[in-house]
Amino acid sequence: MVGKPARPTNAIDQTRRMLSLVTYLKERPGARVEDVARAFGITEDELISDLDVLPLCGTSFRGGDLLDIDTDGDRIWWHNPAALGAEAAEPLRLAADEATALLVAARAVSTLPGLREGDRQALLRATAKVEGAAGEVAGASSRLSVTFESEGGVFADVDRAISERRRLWIRYYSPARDEVTEREIDPIRLVSVGHTYVEAWCRRSEARRTFRLDRVAEIKILDEPSAPPEIELRDLSEALVQPAAEDPEVVVEVGPGGRWVAEYYPHDSADELPDGGLRITLRTPDPASLRRLALRLGRDGRIVSPQDLADSARQAAREALAAYDGPQAEYDEARPGYGGVGAAFDEGRRPEQGGPGGASGASSHGVQDRRYERREQRL
Amino acid sequence: MAIAKAERLMNLALCLLGTRRPLSKRELRHSIEAYLEAGSDDSFNRMFERDKDDLRELGLVIETVENLDGEVGYLARRDSNRLPPITLDAEEAAALGLAAKVWQQARLAGAASGALQKLRAAGLPEDVDPYGAHGALEPRIPVHEAAFEPLMLACRDRRPVVFEYRKATAARPEPRTVEPWALECWRGHWYLAGWDRDRGAERVFRLSRITGKVRSRSGTFTADVPDVVTVRETVASWAGETADRSARIRLRTGAGYPLRAKATSVRELGNGWDELEIPYGHGLDAWLVEFGPDVVVLDPAELRADVVDRLRAVAKG
Repeated sequence: MVGKPARPTNAIDQTRRMLSLVTYLKERPGARVEDVARAFGITEDELISDLDVLPLCGTSFRGGDLLDIDTDGDRIWWHNPAALGAEAAEPLRLAADEATALLVAARAVSTLPGLREGDRQALLRATAKVEGAAGEVAGASSRLSVTFESEGGVFADVDRAISERRRLWIRYYSPARDEVTEREIDPIRLVSVGHTYVEAWCRRSEARRTFRLDRVAEIKILDEPSAPPEIELRDLSEALVQPAAEDPEVVVEVGPGGRWVAEYYPHDSADELPDGGLRITLRTPDPASLRRLALRLGRDGRIVSPQDLADSARQAAREALAAYDGPQAEYDEARPGYGGVGAAFDEGRRPEQGGPGGASGASSHGVQDRRYERREQRL
Repeated sequence: MAIAKAERLMNLALCLLGTRRPLSKRELRHSIEAYLEAGSDDSFNRMFERDKDDLRELGLVIETVENLDGEVGYLARRDSNRLPPITLDAEEAAALGLAAKVWQQARLAGAASGALQKLRAAGLPEDVDPYGAHGALEPRIPVHEAAFEPLMLACRDRRPVVFEYRKATAARPEPRTVEPWALECWRGHWYLAGWDRDRGAERVFRLSRITGKVRSRSGTFTADVPDVVTVRETVASWAGETADRSARIRLRTGAGYPLRAKATSVRELGNGWDELEIPYGHGLDAWLVEFGPDVVVLDPAELRADVVDRLRAVAKG
């Protein structure tokens, strides 16, 4: 499912569409192909392929009651609208999946922190009306839910800057380097995929950059107009991070408690190890940024190569330990068998799950998004 | 040449919607060219049953009626298939237009477009959406997990399922028999809440840890489905978002912005270090270790010990 377009040609979807099309066209003699395609959210080619099928449909292929619909490529004409009977062309009730798909999405968007209040209200009104029209099939929609995360204040400022075409000044946190930097950006659009990001032209690096809103430490709308160059935006059907073939390779070996690494990092390979762990090969433009991963893994895994990355993690751990030498050292010795978060988790309250290795959510998505970050540094 | 399935389904739908009296299978077979070409009775029957199921998936209510002669007939009555009147203004239409494009999962993307098309046919205003004018807001619901679709259908139809599940720290997956209640997406990952039959308790599963196929089991649910199923709260507590204690740390000046953002108090020590009070929830030790020598845990002792333990594991390499 990853990376594929959302709508492959599919007999079910096409049938569903043609049933609505019949109703729609009946009310609009001479409708323009262009307008109908837009109203239905399909390409003109898709619409033409529907118009090729419709004349083969009717209540019986024997009689003269096949739908006589044709197009000159510009307008669509239906020569025998009576063939269907007045009733057979009425709008159809929503199916359970249709109601679910629309309602779950509408509820998710309406909870986006920072959404314009007018739009939120419109979504809530529309949701209530669709629930009413869907009737009992709307019930199943409560079995799916989606939350988008966003920083409401930052979102609202970015949204305003985009609509007023103004430049933004931000202080932005980069986890790969654990530093906050200042930059001026020309915002282009807001993208919510679990977290919310602003895609922008970064004046400092003269390149397209994507910033996660919860990493924006401070934001100001400037008086200068925003002037992003015409650039190609990200293809949202693909994962946000795509390592490049020329990126250096990193090999990580993890125990069972570190398998989450394979869930969070796009990788070339993940081979099973006899102890239930994995040997993961991944590529990243900036291997040094994986030092945090090595530190986080603790006894659940280690960097195999490159060697200097493994060494730098070890060195960082030794430096950190130096601060603990002294009177409090006995705490360490008092708990010889303690196996870390993984062990605590496994038999804990909710044995079925851990974040990444029972990780703190904050840094687990930190881990994930750092890839993103590095990718951006590269571009 | 085989007649396209969409054409066959469309013809069946129009026949069933267009009739006022039940049509027998024989009548339908003679009215629809694809059925005449189906060959044997067996292959026609199979095709016909599948097609009826497909149309029901599309929301069509098809009634089965037996007449006085004992012959079975089918029809889709208008009053049970008609969309109730719904009037949406331009703003509401725009909002739905935005919502209809968020699914990245093929089945739900198709269903959302289908819903919007039915509403269009019913007179939904055609307008630009407020963000769409410049494409400035793009919410997307990611679905990368293969287990999603079978579990979505099982939740919808309230069917028990079996799947292989690997716990966070387990080396091997184990089979689980679950009555699936609800799916929830949080921070881009999908979770399932349901009744675990073997454990006799409610459980939450992360879909990315399901290996292999999700299989349906026959029969119905044995446990009551709660009125409100909360997935996010459970997952958030795993993720350490529900801190019940606090910890005191020393942080190097200028480092660890996210720790500062979460801190309940920050005191400058003036020697290149600051002292912070931060919420202490599950997983904080792993997070603090990421900052290496820029963080020193002061208390509680338990957290300090956990961090030291982790650092030692890395130092040993």
